Order: sequence, then structure tokens, then C-alpha cells
Amino acid sequence: MDAIYWPSVFFLIFGALACGFALAVLLSANIVRMAFYLVMSLAATAGLFFLAGQEFVGAMQLLIYVGGTLVLLIFGVMLTSQERFVNMKTLAGDWVIGMIAGGALLSLLTAAAFSVPEWRGPERAAVENLPIEPNATPIGMGLLGARVDQIGAPADERAGMAGYLFPFEIVSVHLLVVLIGAAYLARAKRRSNPLPTG
Amino acid sequence: MDLTPATALPKLLAAAWLLPLASFVVILFVGKRLGPHGKWAGYLAVGAIVSAFLLSCIAMFAVWLPNHELPVAHHGEHHEEGDQHDDAPAADDHAHGTAALLHDSPQSVQIDRQSPFQLAAFQEEAAHADDHAAEGHAANPPPTYYFGDWYSLGQFGNLKLTIGYYIDALTVTMFCMVTLIASCVHIYALGYMHDELHYPYHDHEVIVHGHHLSRPGRFHRFFQYLSLFCFSMLGIVIAGNVAMVFVFWELVGICSYFLIGFYFERHSASTAANKAFIVNRVGDFGMLIGMMALWASLGTFAFGDKQDAKGQTVLTESGAIAEPGIFSQLRTAENGYRLVPPASMIAEETRQQPAIEAEDAAAGKAGHWLLLVAGVGIFCGCVGKSAQFPLHVWLPDAMEGPTPVSALVHSATMVAAGVYLVGRFYPAFCPEALLVIAIIGCITLSLAATIAITATDIKRVLAYSTVSQLGYMMLALGLGGWIAGLFHLITHAFFKSLLFMCSGSVIHAVHTNDMTEMGGLRKKMPITAYTMLIGCLAIIGAGVPLTPIGFSGYFSKDSIIEQAWSHAQTNGGVYWAFLAMAVIGASMTAFYMFRLWFMTFTGAPRDHHKYDHAHESPRTMTGPLVLLAIFAIAVAWPAFRLTGLLEQAQPVGTAAGGSGVLIEDLVVPAEHLSHAPDIKLRAGLAAFSSALIGVFGAAVVYLWGYLNPREIKQTFKPIYTLLWNKWYFDQLYDILFIRPALFIGRQIAAFDRGVIDWFLHSCAWVVRLFSMVFDLVFDRTLVDGTVNTAANWTWDFGLLLRRFQTGSLRQYVLFIVMGTWFMCLAYFAAAFVLMS
Amino acid sequence: MTSSLLANLLTEPPGVAHYMTVGAVMFVCGAMCMATKRNALGVLMGIELVLNGANLNFIAFGSKYLDNGGPQLGLDGSLIALFVIVLAAAEAAVALAIALNFYNNHDSIDVDRADQLQG
Repeated sequence: MDAIYWPSVFFLIFGALACGFALAVLLSANIVRMAFYLVMSLAATAGLFFLAGQEFVGAMQLLIYVGGTLVLLIFGVMLTSQERFVNMKTLAGDWVIGMIAGGALLSLLTAAAFSVPEWRGPERAAVENLPIEPNATPIGMGLLGARVDQIGAPADERAGMAGYLFPFEIVSVHLLVVLIGAAYLARAKRRSNPLPTG
Repeated sequence: MDLTPATALPKLLAAAWLLPLASFVVILFVGKRLGPHGKWAGYLAVGAIVSAFLLSCIAMFAVWLPNHELPVAHHGEHHEEGDQHDDAPAADDHAHGTAALLHDSPQSVQIDRQSPFQLAAFQEEAAHADDHAAEGHAANPPPTYYFGDWYSLGQFGNLKLTIGYYIDALTVTMFCMVTLIASCVHIYALGYMHDELHYPYHDHEVIVHGHHLSRPGRFHRFFQYLSLFCFSMLGIVIAGNVAMVFVFWELVGICSYFLIGFYFERHSASTAANKAFIVNRVGDFGMLIGMMALWASLGTFAFGDKQDAKGQTVLTESGAIAEPGIFSQLRTAENGYRLVPPASMIAEETRQQPAIEAEDAAAGKAGHWLLLVAGVGIFCGCVGKSAQFPLHVWLPDAMEGPTPVSALVHSATMVAAGVYLVGRFYPAFCPEALLVIAIIGCITLSLAATIAITATDIKRVLAYSTVSQLGYMMLALGLGGWIAGLFHLITHAFFKSLLFMCSGSVIHAVHTNDMTEMGGLRKKMPITAYTMLIGCLAIIGAGVPLTPIGFSGYFSKDSIIEQAWSHAQTNGGVYWAFLAMAVIGASMTAFYMFRLWFMTFTGAPRDHHKYDHAHESPRTMTGPLVLLAIFAIAVAWPAFRLTGLLEQAQPVGTAAGGSGVLIEDLVVPAEHLSHAPDIKLRAGLAAFSSALIGVFGAAVVYLWGYLNPREIKQTFKPIYTLLWNKWYFDQLYDILFIRPALFIGRQIAAFDRGVIDWFLHSCAWVVRLFSMVFDLVFDRTLVDGTVNTAANWTWDFGLLLRRFQTGSLRQYVLFIVMGTWFMCLAYFAAAFVLMS
Repeated sequence: MTSSLLANLLTEPPGVAHYMTVGAVMFVCGAMCMATKRNALGVLMGIELVLNGANLNFIAFGSKYLDNGGPQLGLDGSLIALFVIVLAAAEAAVALAIALNFYNNHDSIDVDRADQLQG
């Protein structure tokens, strides 16, 4: 029996948490609880990101999702939380059909995941001594258009990798547009004739 | 100002020529807005034509006359030097026949004194004149003229098309005459067309939907056309080449068309305009043939030889004329200015008709047939324009136009353009062509005079009189009387426009053209009556025989009869018929003119309502009448030396007459021979007595009423009917040309409908049948079937898909999930099958 | 097999396949959420789960600690994951705005009421 590989243990814990809370979201009927479970699930997913060595993405996951998006969602819940909408039952037939379809999809995806040998875990020796390199800097440089991970690559491979400055720019503008659009869509209804004449 | 003729004349006359054009253009574009209802358009046109007249006068009196010595009467040898009549123009000589005889040849003096009318003396005198003609007047050199181009339109090979001028004494004279009469007519029209200023104008001769036609007045348009006409007419006169003449020839034709059809709402006016236009086209066709014959054989359209800036003929180094015109080529100095077909003309005729030409050349007639074709061709145009037989039918109908138009266009100027052109082309006419001209003129003058006797429409009488007088001019020209013909052209222009304007004044007063409804108007409108009397006296050639006292027609008509006499005397035989017709025609002229005057102005009023309504015309109308009356009296007086002026323009080589080549015994006598005293005496007496007979006859019937015209009518019913129906020319042409043309047209239309349309309809029917079958067999089954099937499939598929469009989001998610699942499954299944 | 897999995981490092399994579970849960929840906000939460499940795959393929010689995304995986997070945030904002608008118009948050697209 080898020594316990702690990252694997943490993977099991976080993976179980993520899957469990995701299932809880699915199975819960109360919208407020669903929101809470979703927060937990997403936080566990962030843990999984950390485990995979993507600490910057994990941090973003926590910041944006848990700190931003879900707050937004909970605001939505609050704004629409009339009593009759908090618990909305679904027909049993829908559940049955959904479960059948979901189960089929899950089995397919799981089977696909384990059908490729290279996707199984690496040898413990191969990864145990890998240096821990923070990847915030490469990501930042990538968003600025400089690919530090491609420095040693041959010129022909590097040619198509121009960095992500342009997508970054597009996404930032996209966000701005979306925020304006969302504000426009969600604005309070005005009366067509706010100031009656006379 | 530089008054050198070579530089000043083209400028002055061009200005006089273009002023009416400017007036036309202005009225064309802004005429309606010139004053109330276009009133000032009239003043503008009057201003333009009066200015043109003044410019013409400057050209005549300040440039031409001071620089060109009027010829001493060319038969001056008949007189003693220094005789008081020496510097008088030729025309006055006949009046002094007796006196002249006293001073003529010494050997005849004694006889003359004893018996001025003794035949022997005249014969001797004539013989003397003949000798003299052979010596001194064998052929006259070209007259003084100024020839050049203002603008070259283009040159195609040796065909030069230019806008140029040919200015000689005739041109200047015509300018003065045309602009003067046009000025009078313009001023007269200001009054005559006054009704057109009303808005709306009521045309009482047109009924539309049971009411008189009401339309906007067309005052400005009338003056617009008049201005264009003046421009075109002056263009003919000043033209330097045949092509330009033809262009303006057509322009006056279209102006005539516009003006005849001025009241185009009246059916008679529009048909008359069409008739005038179409009949003129017939003549113009002949003119084109003549032009082509001339150009093909001579290679030029130009009248004159090329001149430098000083008016000197440009010569080549060898001394020949650099660019000879038509006349110089036909009458070269080497040939003594006799008409001899040039080599190019013989070559052209040889090219066309080798066999005939060889025969002709053997007989010494080479090139003469082509010369005849060219001459008769050009004359054809003149026949159309001057309303000569057989194309005379349009002019009486042209009286549908307003009376000022009749006075200007259809009596004084445009119809005279034909005579003018014959005069201008005179050197190109061989004696045979002149004979044709004389015959046509003779027929025309007698024919028209007979019709005029029975006509009752006042303007038609004048129209036939015009035709008749134009016939006189043609006759004179055809008989060799160049000066006589053009002299009559000038005098006739004055008294005939006067007569027309007087008749217009009458019509203006009584609102009818019919003389049977007039009578006694002398008291109501004295100015009109007496000016018209002057016109009548002028046209019949009233004067004291054997003295230079008389109205203008007296001089010109007598010179025509003298020329006819001279011609008859020279040729004898049937050629006396020309003289007879001329004298009888003079008698008839006198009869119908005084019939007109008596019926209109004397006796008891025939229609009292119209008589009461009659009034003297306004001053704008009577003023020109008086002015023209003065000219009608005096223009031909010897003191004014009009014939001398014309003599300056005597065309090259024509003064001596000529003799025929194709008709060998035909002799055209030299014009000065007609001034022989015996001819003068007899011609003068014949003319006077014939006119007197005519006036007396008219007075007997219409003034004193000794004879009842109705009874005369009854007695001579067949002749009267013939004349009343104008010799049935209209009916004849109707049968000869119009009906065959319509018949052929109908046949062709029937052919179109019966054969071509039938064929096309059959083709169409076959195609339709085929397409119907094709439609049933192919389209409806195969094409429609395919398309409909595809459409049905699409429809059914759409209905199927519609069931999946539940609109429920949750179901859509399920569909996506299941779709993904099935796709992956299919992929794995395919991979499994392929791998195994 | 599951037990051995779990036992193995205590001593051996997890691989891409494991991450994919967790991602698949989250994805299916999210998809089922979308298919079964009548509350529009529930559907929205399902979408968030689906996106996170997909994001896990990107992270897994981009991580060198899970690399066993298969195809690798490297830094691209991280960057795409970041973009997905950003897009998810944007989508959440818009979807929430739509949901609120729907609520304002229909006075309801039931997606079954939104069947105007029915053919």
C-alpha cells in the first residue's frame, strides 16, 4: 500500500462536494435553497481548479461566480420571490423523461471520459515532483498578447498563437454592451404618458 | 464707318437678315410674357423688321448707289449723247417711242417725222438694233457682285456647304423691297390681329360642342412666325449658293405652312396648309433633281467666283478663276459668255448615257440635255413656290391664312421667290428651258386670269390675280426679258400687297370674304377704297400711253408685253401666242380687278347689316395702305431708275439672248431689242387698249349695270361652270393623284391585313396551340407535378416539425440533450462498425 | 470497478478522465435542471452548472499535473476557462434582465407560460 497521495484525496472531497451540491440543486424544489447549493457546488469546483494547478482561474471562479454572478442570481430570486414561485412543482412525467435523458447522457459522457487511456491519471512519479509554478503571470501576459509558454516552441508552431489580446478586448467590450443591454431590459416600466397634459 | 461695298454690304445685310431671327428667338422663348397677352411681341417684331429695313436702305443708298454708277441706258446708242432721257432707265423709253425715233438713226429721222407709225421705219430700226446687238451686246460680262462665305458648315470631298452671300444690285433691291413690305405688313398686322390679344379669343368659324371655339389669343405666335418668315425670305435673297437657297426655300415653306394654318382649328385652314406644303414638296423634288444635276456636273453649289477681302475675284497663277461658281463655269469668258456646257457636264452626261451622248456630240448637242434637265429641275422648284401651272392649286387655298400673311407671304415675297430664283439662275437656263418657263408662265397667267373672273371671294380673286401676275413674270423671263420679269416682280410686290391689305381692311370691317355681300363701301371706308383703287390701277398698268406718266404696273407690264412682242417678231409662227395671251391676260386682269373694286366699293349695299357694321380701319392699318399706295404709284417712275438698278445685276451673258441648240430655230431675243420704238409703240397701245377694254367691260356689267351678270352666267353656263370650278383642277388632281394614292394605300393596307397580318396571326395561332398542348402535356404534369410534390413534402415536413415546436423551453432542453446523446451514440456505433 | 478506482485514487494522481466525470455530473445536473425546473431562475442556475461542467474540462485539459501524454491545451485551457467565466457572468446578467422583464410582463416566472414560440 503506497502512501496516500493527498491531492487525490482532496480531489475526491471536492469532486464529491461539487457533484453532490449539483445534484442537490437539481433535486431541490425551493429556489432559495437551490441558490445556496449552487454556491457550494461552484465553490467546490473552484477547489478542483486549484487542485489542477490553475490557481488564478480558481480565484476568478470564486470572485466572479460566487462573489458576483450568484449575488446577482440571489437578487433575482429576491425580486421575484412571491410565495407561489418559491416552490414550483414539476410534473412527475417530466422528471421521468428528464432522468432517462440525463442518465443516458451521463452514462455516455462517463464512458467517453474513460474510453481514452491517455486521459487516465498520470504516474504518481511523473507529477509528484513537478515544480509548483504560479500561472497568473503567463495568463496575464497571454491576455496582453505575449505567450510566455511558447517561447521555446519552433517558429512554425508559434505562428498561429498570437495571444489573446484581441479576444480580451472583444470580451471586455462585450461585457460593457451586455451590462448596458441588461440595464435597459431590466429597467423599471414607465408609463407611456408620464406627465398628463392639463 | 467703312462704307466700302465689299466689307460693308455683307455686314449690313447680314444684320438686316439676322434681326428678324433674333426677334423670332426672343418671341419663341418669352413671347407670351411680353406685355399683356404678348402684345409687345408685335412691337418687337415690328422693331426688328423696321430696323432691317433701315439697314437695307443704308446698304442701298449709302453703300451701293454711291459706289456703283447706274448704267447709262444700255441702248444709249439709239439716242444722242446728252439727251435728257439718256440717264433714264430703260423702261421709260417706250413712253418716248416717238421722241426717241426722232433722235435715233439719222436715216430714219425723216420717215419718222412724216409718219411715226410707218412700218418700214420700225423694221429698219429693228434691223439696226439687230446689227448693233451682234456687235456691242454680244454678251455682257458678269455683273458687279460680292461673294463670300460667313461660315462653312462642312466640306465633303468637293462638296462645300457654306452659309455665304451673293450680293449684287438685285439682292440689295430685293432686300429693300422685302423689308419695306414686311414692315408695312407688320405694322398693319398690329391692327389686323388685334382680336388675338383678347382672352379668350372667339373663333366664329369653328363650332365645338355647339359653341364658338374659345381659345387663348395667339398674337405673339403670329409675329413669331412672321419674323421667322422674314429671316427665311431674306436668307433666300442673300444666299450665296444653291444649297443655302434650298434650306431657306424650305424654311419659307414651313413658315407658309404655319401661317396658312394659323387658324388651325378651322378644318379648311389646316387642309389648306397641308395642301400648300405637299404641293410645294412636289416642286422641291424637281428642284433637288436640278441641284443634283448641277452639282454632279459642275461640282459646286456656289453662285459666284471666290473673292478676296476687297471683292476681287481670286485667280490662279495661270490667270484662271480659282474657284469658279456655277455661272462662271457655264458661261466662260473664253466662250464669249455664251452658254456652253462645260467639259465636266459633257463628261457627266457621257457617264450617264454613253449611247445618246455620242449621238448628241455628233450633232453638236453634247451636254445640252443635262443642261436642260438642270434648268427645268430648278424651275420645278419655282413652279411649286410661285404657284405656276400645274402646281398653282395651293395658292388660292392659302388664303385661309390671316390677310397680312396673304399680303406678305402669298403675294409679295415668298411666291415671288420662285421668280427671283429663276432670275438668279438665269445664266444656267438654256433657251429650251426658257421656252418651258415661258409656256408654263403663259398657261398660268391665262388660266388664273379666267378663274379670277368668276371668283367671288375677294381674297381668292386676288390670289388668282397673284398667280396670273406670277405667270406674267415667268413669261417675261422665259421670253428673255430678265429685267422686265424682275421689274414686274418688284412693282407687283408693292401693288399686290397693297391690294391684299386693302381687302384685309374690308374683311376686317364687314367680317366676310364674299363680294356678293359687299357693295357701296366707298362711303364707309374711303381710305381703303381709294388706296385699293390705286392698287387696281397699278395692276392693270394704267398710264398715259406713249408718255412716262402712269402707275408702276404700267411700266413693268408694258415691258413684258414688249418683250413678248419682240420674241414673237423674232421667232414668228406659234410664238405669237405668247403675245396674244399676254395681251388678253392684261384685259382679263383689268376686268376682274375692276369687277372686284366695283362690287366691293360702289353701287348699293347688298347686305345692309354688314354695311351698317362696316367702319374705316384703325390707323395702324390705313397708314401702311397709304405708304404702299405711294409706292404702288411711283416706284417704277423713270426718275427713280429702278430698271437701271436691275440692269446692274443683269446676269452674265444673258443680255444678248441666245439661240436654241436642241430646238434649232428657237431664238431668245436680246432684251434691249424690245425697246425698239416700233415694238414699244405697238405694245404700249395694245396693253393700254386691252386694259381699257377690261375696265370698260367691268364698268358695263358691275358699275353701270347695263348687263346683268346673272344673265351672262346663264348664257355661258358651261364656261362659267368650268371657271367657277377652277377648270376642275382640284377634281382632276383628286382623280389623278389623290384617289390613286388612297387606292394604292388601301390596297397596301388590305395586303397588310389580308396577307401579312394573316400570316402573323396564323403564326401566333400555331404558337399558341403548341404552347397550350405543351402546357397540358409537360407543364401541368411534369413540371407542376414535381414542384407540387416538393411543395407537399416541404409542407408535410413542416407540419411534422411543427409538433416539435412546443414553445416550452424545458422540452427544448430535453431535445438538445437527447439529440446530443443520439449523435454520440451514432458516432460510437459507426466507429464500432468500422473497427470491427 | 468503482471501488478499485477510488482505492487507486488515494495513492495515484487523478487524471483528465476523473475531472471529466465530475464535469459530466455537473453538466447533466445542470441540463436536467434546465429541463425540469419551471422557475426561470432555476433554469438559469442550470445553465451556470452546465457552464461550470464544461469549464472543468477546459481546466483539466490545460493542467500539466493531469497530463498523461494525451493532447494538451496548456495555457489556452486556462484562458478559455477565464473567457467562459466572463461570458457566463455576462449571460447571467442578460438572462436575469430577461427574466425580470418576463416577470414584469407576465406577472409570473413560470417558463411554461413562455410558449409564444409554439409552432
